[in-house]
Amino acid sequence: MIIITRPHVSDAELDQIREHIETLGLRTHLSRGEARTIIGCIGDEALLQEAALLSLSGVESITPVMKPYKLAWREFAAGPTVVKVGDRKATSIGGRALAVIAGPCSVEGRDMLRQTAAAVRGAGAGLLRGGAFKPRSSPYAFQGLGEAGLRMLAEVRAETGLPIVTEVMDTRQVELVAEHADVLQVGARNMQNFSLLSELGRVQRPVLLKRGLSATIQELLMAAEYIMSHGNHDVILCERGIRTFETATRNTLDVAAIPVLKAETHLPVLVDPSHAGGRASLVAPLSFAAIAAGADGLMVEIHPDPQRALSDGDQSLTLDAFAAFMRALRPFAHAAGRELAEPPAGLREAA
Amino acid sequence: MSAPDAAAAPAGERLRAIRERIEQVDREIIGLIGERVHLAREVGAVKRTLGMPTLDPAREAAVVRRAGELAREAGVGDEDVRYIFWHLIGLSRRAQLEGE
Repeated sequence: MIIITRPHVSDAELDQIREHIETLGLRTHLSRGEARTIIGCIGDEALLQEAALLSLSGVESITPVMKPYKLAWREFAAGPTVVKVGDRKATSIGGRALAVIAGPCSVEGRDMLRQTAAAVRGAGAGLLRGGAFKPRSSPYAFQGLGEAGLRMLAEVRAETGLPIVTEVMDTRQVELVAEHADVLQVGARNMQNFSLLSELGRVQRPVLLKRGLSATIQELLMAAEYIMSHGNHDVILCERGIRTFETATRNTLDVAAIPVLKAETHLPVLVDPSHAGGRASLVAPLSFAAIAAGADGLMVEIHPDPQRALSDGDQSLTLDAFAAFMRALRPFAHAAGRELAEPPAGLREAA
Repeated sequence: MSAPDAAAAPAGERLRAIRERIEQVDREIIGLIGERVHLAREVGAVKRTLGMPTLDPAREAAVVRRAGELAREAGVGDEDVRYIFWHLIGLSRRAQLEGE
């Protein structure tokens, strides 16, 4: 159940409403917006039936939650969630400005990472991705550089100021990865790893949650709910293509999932066009479609030399192609009423 | 020593001093949490003697409300403090239930 309060409700009134609900053994979650403040009730809602909430000072209306997800439900928050990232919280995901995360599938070495990060920054993208721990379909494939890769990411962040997005695969890695990264990514294969999700709910780092290969939209939202129910409300969703009968593309980008998610949840929604299409040539058209459908940003794989990439070379853009892609994206962003950051002054030549 | 180095030395010293003080505060907080849990255990025993139910959601809600109010007065994020207090209450609740 959510309680919508009157405009200009006082702190004392909010305290009283919350105490009233918490006395019944439920918990409350407060979301302050410009126009309204919402108190979400978490727990056995049957206990609220006799609570006479409408008689409390400051309460305007109450709405039952008819969804299996509560914290992730759009009505649970006073407005869209904007996740602030990085040391000074200078980078936003979920606002009017599109968030573009770019980088190599795997961190392969310091030099390639530096080179890639310079291209990310030079093209006007806001965050650097790079895998240190890699979930590979084959146990014989390159598994990532592990902790050494994390240290390289942290070094490059210190040099460039770009916040780092990297995957965490296992509950045992959460603390280590949180030490180095700004955003912790849950890969598609781990979307329903509930012990990992619970652990991520307890860290103070935003989580980028990728949709599972065969997961429904509701399952994705329930996975987000898992993280949020443990206290971490900074969750970013990512549509990365789903498994269908089609074999011409690696996966099928579920474009419809974007407006459906935007209607169902207040959480930001990103799209990964690289994994969805599986080919570099599909990255631009899928990205344009994603932005038109209302995505809050993109996560794109790029590599200085895709042909020699240790993983996912086919779907990686070259650094030059990425700069051209970002230029081409700009008019689509504007047409969709979104902003796309300009490359930093002095770096435009390089882009 | 160049000028920036001269400025950096006292700043580095200050950082070390602040960190030491933070460690001290952390130790005090943990000591106080231990005391709170110990008191909760005693409250549990007294409640059992009096035949009162161990869990008291109304009291818990009042404690969290007061913590939020005090946090606001102190200029600290009241939502964060409420969050911490629900966890503290969870600890105390388990301690109260010991011996049942």
